[in-house]
Amino acid sequence: MSGAVGREAVFPTRQSLGLMKSKLKGAETGHSLLKRKSEALTKRFREITRRIDEAKQKMGRVMQIAAFSLAEVSYAVGGDIGYQIQESAKQARFRVRAKQENVSGVLLPHFESYTEDSINDFGLTGLGKGGQQVQRCRETYARAVETLVELASLQTAFVILDEVIKVVNRRVNAIEHVIIPRTENTIKYINSELDELDREEFYRLKKVSGKKQRDVAAADAEMEAARERQAAEQQSALKLDEDPAAPDVLGEQEDTDVIF
Amino acid sequence: MAASAVAYKDRQFLAVIGDEDSVTGLLLAGIGHVTDPPAAQRNFLVVDAKTETSTIEKAFENFTQERKDIAVLLINQHIAERIRHSVDSFADAFPAVLEIPSKDHPYDPEKDSVLKRVRRLFGE
Amino acid sequence: MEGLFFNVSSGYVEGIVRGYRNSLLSGQNYNNLTQCETIDDVKLQLAPAYGDFLAALPPNPSTSALAGKMTDKLVAEFRYLMAQATGSTARFLEFLTYGYMIDNIALLITGTLHERDTRELLERCHPLGWFETLPVLCVATNIEELYNSVLIETPLAGYFKGSLSHQDLDELNIEIVRNTLYKNYLEDFHDFVTTHPDFRGTPTQEVMSEILQFEADRRAINITLNSFGTELSKQERRKLYPEFGKLYPEGSLMLSRADDIEAVTLAVSISADYKAFFDAVGLTQGGAGMGGMSGNSDGKSLEDLFYQKEMEMSKIVFTRQFTPAVVYAWMRLKEQEIRNVTWIAECIAQNQKERIGNFISVF
Repeated sequence: MSGAVGREAVFPTRQSLGLMKSKLKGAETGHSLLKRKSEALTKRFREITRRIDEAKQKMGRVMQIAAFSLAEVSYAVGGDIGYQIQESAKQARFRVRAKQENVSGVLLPHFESYTEDSINDFGLTGLGKGGQQVQRCRETYARAVETLVELASLQTAFVILDEVIKVVNRRVNAIEHVIIPRTENTIKYINSELDELDREEFYRLKKVSGKKQRDVAAADAEMEAARERQAAEQQSALKLDEDPAAPDVLGEQEDTDVIF
Repeated sequence: MAASAVAYKDRQFLAVIGDEDSVTGLLLAGIGHVTDPPAAQRNFLVVDAKTETSTIEKAFENFTQERKDIAVLLINQHIAERIRHSVDSFADAFPAVLEIPSKDHPYDPEKDSVLKRVRRLFGE
Repeated sequence: MEGLFFNVSSGYVEGIVRGYRNSLLSGQNYNNLTQCETIDDVKLQLAPAYGDFLAALPPNPSTSALAGKMTDKLVAEFRYLMAQATGSTARFLEFLTYGYMIDNIALLITGTLHERDTRELLERCHPLGWFETLPVLCVATNIEELYNSVLIETPLAGYFKGSLSHQDLDELNIEIVRNTLYKNYLEDFHDFVTTHPDFRGTPTQEVMSEILQFEADRRAINITLNSFGTELSKQERRKLYPEFGKLYPEGSLMLSRADDIEAVTLAVSISADYKAFFDAVGLTQGGAGMGGMSGNSDGKSLEDLFYQKEMEMSKIVFTRQFTPAVVYAWMRLKEQEIRNVTWIAECIAQNQKERIGNFISVF
């Protein structure tokens, strides 16, 4: 009776059969919905992965240009400004804001970069010499960081989508390979169980009706016999009328042969 | 899973772990932020040949786990290489860990932990 | 007459420097360098000039390591000169190191302000700006202490006095401190070469005065240009201008009132040289803004032109005799050479060959 996936523990009644049937129907609808969701997400996912691939290559180039502009700075300033920059950093000028984007019910974060123009930690860097290069380098790097932020959004979306798709696929598979077969099994079980009951009932009924027939037949026979006896009694009564001392017909003694 | 609003609404800074040139450049772009004293914390770490791997690990932990105001962590690829295990096992969405090339180490897509996943998914 | 006794005390130093000058890279060398494919090739090309100093570098060193080693050679050679110099020449050489000292002190002040461990900063200091009491700076943990007990012991004390108090160190941006010091330094140096009895009326006064005036003007112009759009007020800016130079006093006054690049152009038009620079980079066509610094035909910025001019002046110094000014010129040329090589190495390392020719070679 039970397959590889087993069945639910229910009493095989018509009511639970109805329940199971509606459950199966629900599972099938859910399955097709989830399947579609998973497909939509996967489509998006593939697009994002492709864009990550591209963006990562682009980042390589952008960062190279930025690094080069830093080389220009060190050429113009003629020294190392790294330490000074590190120490004068106080407030972030370049910040990001997170937004949400809804893809098939999944909230994907999207980073958006913005600059706090009021904050300017390095305005005087390179005052004596190299200031213009420093300025240009800042712009180059700001652009590079924008690319990086974009890439970061993609990557976060990638990680989240990856997770969500896994979950959705797991659900799809669970429905497809566990829930549906199990419900089907249960339905089958209930059906067969009900059939069995039907058959038993039928047999019982047959038995009952057989017995009834037998009883009826017996009763008929008795009735027949009774009737016969009655007829005989009537006849004997007639005879009794003629012969009041008629012997008991039900008596033990052998009836004397009546000779007509 | 879909991130709840709490997970990222305070995240507005970028952090960086990198060599001196990368950090300098990114700071010039204006990402540097030092929190208010007394517990002044910087959101960048300069790594040179003398920096211990444990220091990098600690900074990585700090930026990824403890601090809740960091949206993106930039890390030089050759430095990520030194703490590859931590980077690879970090799979959360926030902060986004981004491996960036450095001046002396051009970008190698083969080593990027995210790109590795990308490639694997495409079955390459 | 001045040549009569010069060689008694300083002839050797001058001779040495002339020898050093011959080892400066020539246009031919630079040509070879630009053809290199890797940093190792660059190293190989530099071997005749830098020999031992580069030998310790690992294969394919970073450009900063390369520059570091080249600086080491400059430092070693300069120290040798220092050791040989006597009298006023020695004093002259000391003046050369003050520029580096200012940078070092600015570095340490930055560190102290942010309560960093200043000991590790010592490694970052420029070796030429090293002086005996420099490590003592690390003892100071706050600015007041630094100012009262340490800075006044340094050779730069005079530059602090009168223009910066310890309160200033706290509040002022370190860049302003640095530029104030540099201004005082330039003025002092200029004063030294024009009034010192050993130098007055000698070729030294002639050439050094010209070079220092140029340096002063360059700083004034740069500071003005770079201060646009920053919180630096005009009064503060004015205090940073050295009080000599071709532009002083009228030009400086105009610079101090300048609000945009056009006003700067007007101010510098007193001097034909600077006007030519501004014309060359196209700053005269107003509205170019800061971006205009780079947008010109041959990719030269104002900064590049200034460097170019400085190099040419330094080259001309070698036509003079009996003067320690050649040391100054040699150092400038050498520094430019290090920058050039770093630039070329950077271009090679980052595969950006199209701008590799953007260096300045005068030989």
